[in-house]
Amino acid sequence: MNLPNTFEPYDDATQPAMTVTDYSETSTRVPKNQLYRRPLTLTEITGPTRLGAKLKPGDNDLSHPYPQQPRAMGQLIRVAGRLMDEDGQPVRGAIIELWHANAAGRYIHPMDAKNSAPIDPNFVGSGRVATDAAGRYEFLTIKPAAYPYPNHPTRWWRPPHIHMSIFGDGFMSRLVTQMFFPGDPFNDIDLILNAVPDPRGRARMIARQVPMADMPVLNVVGFEHDIVVRGHRQTPFGM
Amino acid sequence: MSQYIPTASGTVGPFFPPHFFRPGDNDLTIVEPGAAVAAGLRIHVFGYLFEAARLPRWNSIIELWQADGGGRFAHPNDPQAALADPRFIGWGRCASETDGYFDFVTIKPGGFDDPVAKARRAPHINLSITGSGLMRRLTTTLFFPDEPANAADPVFTAVTDASLRPRLILQPASSDKAPPGTRSYRIDIVLQGEGETPFFVD
Repeated sequence: MNLPNTFEPYDDATQPAMTVTDYSETSTRVPKNQLYRRPLTLTEITGPTRLGAKLKPGDNDLSHPYPQQPRAMGQLIRVAGRLMDEDGQPVRGAIIELWHANAAGRYIHPMDAKNSAPIDPNFVGSGRVATDAAGRYEFLTIKPAAYPYPNHPTRWWRPPHIHMSIFGDGFMSRLVTQMFFPGDPFNDIDLILNAVPDPRGRARMIARQVPMADMPVLNVVGFEHDIVVRGHRQTPFGM
Repeated sequence: MSQYIPTASGTVGPFFPPHFFRPGDNDLTIVEPGAAVAAGLRIHVFGYLFEAARLPRWNSIIELWQADGGGRFAHPNDPQAALADPRFIGWGRCASETDGYFDFVTIKPGGFDDPVAKARRAPHINLSITGSGLMRRLTTTLFFPDEPANAADPVFTAVTDASLRPRLILQPASSDKAPPGTRSYRIDIVLQGEGETPFFVD
């Protein structure tokens, strides 16, 4: 199978700044020295092809993690879309990991232990799937709430968002990103989303709401979110 | 020329689910518990991750990607993929601990003649770091000591300040966490400040 084998450095306009004012963690963790430009070799244009053996997929319903218990609290949403490369070709069998806060804006995580928002005993907030033959993925979950960044000088609130960790076809296609919801007023002031200078880059991080008439069930709000990982397919080298 | 703009990276944040890490995720020598062990020299790679002021950076995710013991990748872009070790995936990950500690068990990768850069690659391990405060991942490459091929490796020499290259070389070390029969190598990763690790444009 022909997979992407050509990778150009990212365009800084459509990727986030590394150092973000008022996101203080960036100030002590971003290298001060220049990053060196490396030539690509086989190591960079390949990647794990059997990752599912380590990261087992098949967990795409976050709304009901404990079958013996009720569904999680919150508005049911379907998040689905296509994973593709820069040519628009589907990325098949790719592992996507996803995690997000609950409907009160709290994560099930030790780092969020001081959050005063309630825990939902029927919600965990994480899932993992592999994309299908068309590069599609789909999750059923509940819509996360916004939450305040603790003790922030300008009262930064994170808008509702879903974290995604994506393993494309190679080392250079690895992507960790966040998905945002259309029309949320906090989107306009979010330091993470707005760290991307080019509005086209920001637009790509915001999901599209599916018209209600196009949803197969009444009680689920649909969001379509296509994701593009780096890589072009070109003539194999030396051929 | 891109038809589709790649989706922007965003920080992994502090809340990556702990249960996404399973025992064995940082052991590249076996695909899953009970599976056959990959061919080659089993090694233990460990170190500490630091941020500015040499403070330990914990709760960050470190991922490895490397060739098998014969210097091959089980991926269609490697012309020798058919010869790759079927017991080896080449990938692993772990989270840095409270003191910044991380470790992996893997196979010492083989070097290879690279058809893309048309150069000899010395044995090496690619490493990615994501975590809170990192809007994009950081990537670098680790090399082994006493490898004559290091001197002409196209990625090693891409660090144009040659005085910084030793920071990418794994150092033989002893570790009480090394599994029996493995040799330990240590590499400390400094995100910022004195002793800062060289990273590459992604």
